[in-house]
Amino acid sequence: MNTIRLILIAIVALTSACVTVKPQERSVLADPLMQFEGDPHAAAQLRHALENREGAYGGSSAVGGGCGCN
Amino acid sequence: MQLIRFATRVGASRVAALLGAGIAAALVAVAAPVRAEVVTFDTTHTLFHESPTRTKMTVYTPGADLEVAPTDWLRVRAGWEADIVSGASVAVKAGPAYANTHPGADVVTTASVHDVRNQARGGFTLKKENVELTGGYAYSTENDYKSNSFNVAARTDTYEHNSQFEISYARNFDRVCDRVQSANDSPARFRALEDSSGCFTKSNPLRTTRDIGVDGFQGTWSQAWTPIFVTQVVYTAQVNSGFQSNPYRSVILGEGLKAQEHEPDNRFREAVALRGNLFLRPLKAAVRISLRGYYDSWNVKSGTAEAELEKYLGESFRVMARGRYYRQSGAIFWSDDYSGGDRPLGPKGQYWTGDRELSPFSSWLVGVRAMYAVRPATRIFGIMESFRAGVSGDMLALSYDEFTLGGQRIGNARAYILGLTVSALF
Repeated sequence: MNTIRLILIAIVALTSACVTVKPQERSVLADPLMQFEGDPHAAAQLRHALENREGAYGGSSAVGGGCGCN
Repeated sequence: MQLIRFATRVGASRVAALLGAGIAAALVAVAAPVRAEVVTFDTTHTLFHESPTRTKMTVYTPGADLEVAPTDWLRVRAGWEADIVSGASVAVKAGPAYANTHPGADVVTTASVHDVRNQARGGFTLKKENVELTGGYAYSTENDYKSNSFNVAARTDTYEHNSQFEISYARNFDRVCDRVQSANDSPARFRALEDSSGCFTKSNPLRTTRDIGVDGFQGTWSQAWTPIFVTQVVYTAQVNSGFQSNPYRSVILGEGLKAQEHEPDNRFREAVALRGNLFLRPLKAAVRISLRGYYDSWNVKSGTAEAELEKYLGESFRVMARGRYYRQSGAIFWSDDYSGGDRPLGPKGQYWTGDRELSPFSSWLVGVRAMYAVRPATRIFGIMESFRAGVSGDMLALSYDEFTLGGQRIGNARAYILGLTVSALF
């Protein structure tokens, strides 16, 4: 429990100290090149192909239940 | 059953009905008073091909999605995707120890695979100020596998949109076709499913269904640190429960003993990923780095490192190159030969599998993508706000540490992946 509290405090401290990007400075951050999942459908299909050949799953930006298939 | 591995025909009518309902809902939403940008249409196509030793697989995956935003606070979407699979996969797996005691015999067999999976999906997102709530549903069907998947997510922005937090939960209610086994038999005597005929019907008394439940949790923190640098941390946990073996595949366990694959019913999986995107102003390019660690209760551990470099060539055209390295250990019960031999061969307890995805291996992926995106001042053809089209090509090379087919190493374990995506905003 203490560990979770420490992690939450660290996240809040880190994020609150970083309100350094003003709205007028966000043009680059809004660029398609800076998106984590800029083309979600294509990314999902590539991920689908890879996950069918690997034992690992997860860690992507997408929401979903994944597959219980074998 | 999720495609690339198995075979089917389709319950297309139900999928068509679901898809039709989703599109109808989207069109009703369009009919409401509209803003300048209300409809996004995406279509994505992927062609996958591999032909390593003794097996081959070709998968074509078309998909189409429509999203409508009738108001500022609501987005509704519907989509369809299919996997069309053909090839040959391993039906009976044996290892080098068994092959050595049966010289001249072909101890590994393969079976042809022809399969179609259809998936219909839909969802909505509600937005108020800095909070978004999302709900979604997907139904997919194959001859031997059916899936109902629900997902919900909540997302919020804080600190002038510099921090984003998202939590999500997804639940699958899946069913897989299996062969009826004799009540007096133990798993070491179970026989594999011969084919998908009679699955999910009562026409074949030798067919039954097994349940699979999937619970997935995910938390995401995205952070803008500077005007050109953002990071993301993702934690994923998933609990799989139920029948997780390949019902078609058998494993040679010993002399005269061939049994259906037998994997544990429960699997807990978790992954942590860290990503960073950095914009390089002088190059008009971005570097994207991703690292992922994964662990599960079957003792599969893996690490993934990915890097992408994407650069503008002019205002509307951009190119991207990517590389990915993946390495995993084998499941604790995985063995290349359960019938005997020196370590690491030999039996591994009460479970057995012929799944190369559970063996220790590594892989490399390299690829390129070209994208053309245009958003002119006036609408294209009078109706389109923007248009985007992209093509990609990737090569995946796999290197198996221990997996063999009757002692024969897997050569030419390379896969080729071609992608096409087109998107328009109306």
